[in-house]
Amino acid sequence: MKRVIVLVVLVLIAVVSSVITPLVISIEVPRCLRDLSRYYIINTIKDTASPEAVAAIVWDYRGLDTVYETLVLYLAIVGGLTIFMYTGELARETPVGLTLLSRTATKIITVLISTVSAAIAFHGHLTPGGGFPGGSALAVATMLIIPVFSINTLLEKGVTSTKLVAIRGVSLTGLGLVALLPVIRGLEIVTNQRFYPGYLDGFILSGSISLYNLLEFLAVASGFTAVALYLSIPEEYYKGGDNA
Amino acid sequence: MLEEFTFTLLISVLAINFLISIYGIVYRRSLTKKLISLTILSDTVFVAIILAGLIYTYPIVPPVYSDMQGGEAEFLATHASDPLPQALVLTGIVIGLATNSLIAFGIIQTYRLTGTIDARKAVKTLLEEGVE
Amino acid sequence: MIITLILLIASSILSIVFVYMAITERDLLKATAFSAGQSICYATILQAMGAADIAMTYVAVSAGLYSAILVFVISKTERFEEVGSE
Repeated sequence: MKRVIVLVVLVLIAVVSSVITPLVISIEVPRCLRDLSRYYIINTIKDTASPEAVAAIVWDYRGLDTVYETLVLYLAIVGGLTIFMYTGELARETPVGLTLLSRTATKIITVLISTVSAAIAFHGHLTPGGGFPGGSALAVATMLIIPVFSINTLLEKGVTSTKLVAIRGVSLTGLGLVALLPVIRGLEIVTNQRFYPGYLDGFILSGSISLYNLLEFLAVASGFTAVALYLSIPEEYYKGGDNA
Repeated sequence: MLEEFTFTLLISVLAINFLISIYGIVYRRSLTKKLISLTILSDTVFVAIILAGLIYTYPIVPPVYSDMQGGEAEFLATHASDPLPQALVLTGIVIGLATNSLIAFGIIQTYRLTGTIDARKAVKTLLEEGVE
Repeated sequence: MIITLILLIASSILSIVFVYMAITERDLLKATAFSAGQSICYATILQAMGAADIAMTYVAVSAGLYSAILVFVISKTERFEEVGSE
């Protein structure tokens, strides 16, 4: 009861203060953009061959920031895998999982989530989205499979942590190569239109932006799936012995 | 009239959420509750950054062209939202995710070493016994 | 124009409710559910302001990955926090 009273008081403070303030102080709401954003919106197709302004800023105009941010995410996942390293054998029992209704619904939902996440990632240079939301959505679909079916179902199909970490390493190497390759011709390190082709046979490729989105999608999805596989091992396997 | 009310309401709501989450970090004992309050705090700051690029025009659209000819440049320069804060917030969300997941792994390791999730008892146990 | 403003007003007031209920709750699983509800309110505010890119990323990260990581952490540690704050 006390919580409800405090909540109502907080909402009333917010509403009353925003009714009184425009009567006392004269406020002007903003109605036009600043000059730098107007430059980015007007010149984005001419400089980067990509009709989406946000993807052009993230991967081309300020591409070096994004390369460093990918490095930070990589180091965080490496730290997590170090804590949860388990080198023994899991007890192989018959997989149990939840009821038949949950399993049927999860099969349909997982296929839909995989399709939508691939569409978000591969069209990152044409529509809002990009590589990072696509990879997160695919990792959420895998985190849905683990409680509904059991973890042994996933391990028997060959989706082990070692393979996922290998996929992650290969895609991060590819990302580094796409950033470093223009140095061969004497250009700077994250260059888009002077080295990579913008169009290919009528398809809009936007140079290196579509390559970056594809590699980031693979790296993020496999990294978070490996973390989820390690987090699902029960606590009894870590006690005793020298697995601290 | 309604526009100024919405503008000041957004600013006061963000300020109240900021203060409630700082209360949650300082005064709550469980380490997991501190992590939840930290995520709410960083999300509030991101919305405040995007609020700095808000403009009040009638059809507000995302800054995306429909074709590659570039004929809509005049329409988009006056009616699109600001793309520069969106790029900065995208980087911020990724780095926040990395830091918060490392904090979550640290909470599990603290529970294994000391056996409690209470912040003050964990510090006392670690100071008395020491870490092997 | 009116619909955008009404959406902004309703989502902001709803987000105060969710944030307050999340932080003063003893059962940590309920606090995780309230935190996911707060993420949906913030994503509505971001879409009404025209930032479609951020709204998509925010829903996938906050309502998806944070809730999953918090449920894993709660299952390996304790579920209820103790009474008496400081």
